[in-house]
Amino acid sequence: MINTEKNSITSMQFIFIISGIQISVAVLSLPRKLAEAAGTDGLLALPLGYLLNLLCGYIIIMVMRKSSEKTLFDTVSKTMGTWVGKGFALLMAFYFLHLMYDGLVRAILIVKTWLMPNTQGYVLLILLLFPAYKIALGGPRILGRYAELVAVISCWLPFVYLFTLKYAHWLNLLPLFKDGFLPVLTAVKATIYPSLGIIAVFIFYPYLQKKEKAVSSLIISNSITMFVYIFITTICFVYYSPHESTVYNDPIISILKTIEFRFIERIEIPFISFYLFVFSLVWIPCMYIASFCMSLVFGLSDHRLPLRVLVIVLAIGTFFYLPTYNQSDKIELWLARFGFGMEYILPGLLLIYLTLYKRLHRRAES
Amino acid sequence: MRRTKTCVCAILAAVCLFATACSDQLYLENAATPLALGMDLDKNDKFHFYGTVPVFSKNIRKKSQEIAGTAESLRQSRSFQDAQTAGTIQGRNYQVILLGRRLLQHDDWFAMLDVLFRDARNTITDRMIAVDGSVTDVIYLNPPDQPLLPILLRGMVDTKTKRSETYSTTAQELHRQFFDKGVTPYIAEIKIVNKQVQLKGSALLDAKGKYAMSLNAQETILLNLLQKQADPGYSLSFHIPDKPIKPPFETDMFSFTGGKPKTKIKTGYENGKFKFDIHIKTKIGLSEHLFPFNVAQDAKSLEKQASALMEKQIEELIQKMQRHKVDPIGLGVYARAKKYKQYIKVEEDWPEAFSHAEVNVKVKLSISAMGPVK
Repeated sequence: MINTEKNSITSMQFIFIISGIQISVAVLSLPRKLAEAAGTDGLLALPLGYLLNLLCGYIIIMVMRKSSEKTLFDTVSKTMGTWVGKGFALLMAFYFLHLMYDGLVRAILIVKTWLMPNTQGYVLLILLLFPAYKIALGGPRILGRYAELVAVISCWLPFVYLFTLKYAHWLNLLPLFKDGFLPVLTAVKATIYPSLGIIAVFIFYPYLQKKEKAVSSLIISNSITMFVYIFITTICFVYYSPHESTVYNDPIISILKTIEFRFIERIEIPFISFYLFVFSLVWIPCMYIASFCMSLVFGLSDHRLPLRVLVIVLAIGTFFYLPTYNQSDKIELWLARFGFGMEYILPGLLLIYLTLYKRLHRRAES
Repeated sequence: MRRTKTCVCAILAAVCLFATACSDQLYLENAATPLALGMDLDKNDKFHFYGTVPVFSKNIRKKSQEIAGTAESLRQSRSFQDAQTAGTIQGRNYQVILLGRRLLQHDDWFAMLDVLFRDARNTITDRMIAVDGSVTDVIYLNPPDQPLLPILLRGMVDTKTKRSETYSTTAQELHRQFFDKGVTPYIAEIKIVNKQVQLKGSALLDAKGKYAMSLNAQETILLNLLQKQADPGYSLSFHIPDKPIKPPFETDMFSFTGGKPKTKIKTGYENGKFKFDIHIKTKIGLSEHLFPFNVAQDAKSLEKQASALMEKQIEELIQKMQRHKVDPIGLGVYARAKKYKQYIKVEEDWPEAFSHAEVNVKVKLSISAMGPVK
């Protein structure tokens, strides 16, 4: 049904696609959420979240190894029936639509707040959708190349944050575990939303050139994500005072305003514009995945038609309605819950089911 | 093929029609960008705002225009500010924010600055400067032999900060200091003397932003040393006792230039009181001594004398701060990091706890250079 030969992706591209979906817009509010949950101890929740993600990623890859057919959807259809397979594809489509919409709305709201408060939301959306549509149309290989390109051209971003270290107050981080373990454990909840996206492995695994390297690729991509998160959170926590970190909606951007160069004032302006590349790493792949899943539901030959419908619906829909900041926060909250079910629980259930199915099947055969 | 082409053209045309609405453009001619913002209260405690807008025109001799008025809040005053200039007022380029003494005598004035942080297009690296007196005098001063006031002030504060003689506290940094419960805010302070703007040193505010006390340049340097912020190159002077004075010249003066200081702060908790041991160690180079002195032989005794004098001045400074219940050193941050259990009980009123704390200071100077003369 799908041609994986022409569209194969390398391990590197695989790594950047997964990391891109995870980091994108989620990194912006992460320090605030960690600080709200556990103060400066929120930093300690990140390694715990990392371990959780590794486990979940391993389970997802085990599911893919267990599935005998080319894609997971074929396996589900074969083992549970066509309608369950379609239902599963619909669920995935819905989930990735949610992920995409959240990222897109966040990006537009941020551009509106920081760069162009008087410009209409739908105008920004239309401008963003054009390149997104072209890239999503290309399929996994183009997505992979795009992710790779963005990773390369934005790898200098973290270094600019080092300038804020001039005003660092390292004592803010001490003492560790100031109120015991419990706040740290509750802060792990805040790491779920920024980790969403591992499940894209379900879609991209069949395209992977070297499937035996999937596990190590996933570990690398999760490590990149976690390194970025720990770096950014540390920067924010040593710069802002402990009670202050919760005041800023997007501390990552606010902190940029404090950097002064002789040759440029307000460096957050070129930065946010550049950040749009990074933000786009969530909505472009998700757009592709969602339309791909929809094509499975309706039994279409490729993802082009659903993608076009999606783009047009988005453009027209945003003309009439764009969520506010508070509503976008609500969307995020629901996404975190939905995502927890989809990424941390569903793969486990699938793995158990597939294992049992194989065992029973073998018994029935013999 | 033709159908796709028409399709693409139609979409492009539609986009051009819709997307021409980027309405955030602003022509420079239509903008007035004040470089300084002033806030003060008048005799009846009514809020006043001030601004200095540079004027770009060949035919006008005065290079700046002053705007002023009363208002309830800064953003509320925008239409009134607009009414006084040719363009629309943009808050994107503030260099300094001046705070009048009467304003600083009230709690919670910091809330007035909310618009700076909430409107994302405003700058937050403006230097905060306290004025000993009223802001009106500074804004309308316009000395003919000096650059524009905002530029003068910004330069004054930034360069003196490099010498640790004042603080270039930005609006963002002040925000941090207000939100950190373990430290009280400190900003630069200026005064008008003989129709000239002069840097006075720094002003210390209490936890709610009320003016508490002023420090002169030497005291500010000492405070910088305690805060571990002093850059090498600061200069301190002392009267050495038991040296002969020949009036009218005070020939007992001794000055030195400090090297990179090593400040160590030990935190303890004893008998219901916080205890801080502060050790300052630094190498110094002699800048001047007006009395005859043989450095090669008696360096040790001079080191001891200077250390003792500096120790005494720092102790007096700390006692003064404890009396006024301000902790600009940020000892609360040390208490939080090292003695969290005891600190969290007094977090809400740390300056009070600090005023009872025991602070011991040890200074060790060592002369590393005496200059080209013996």
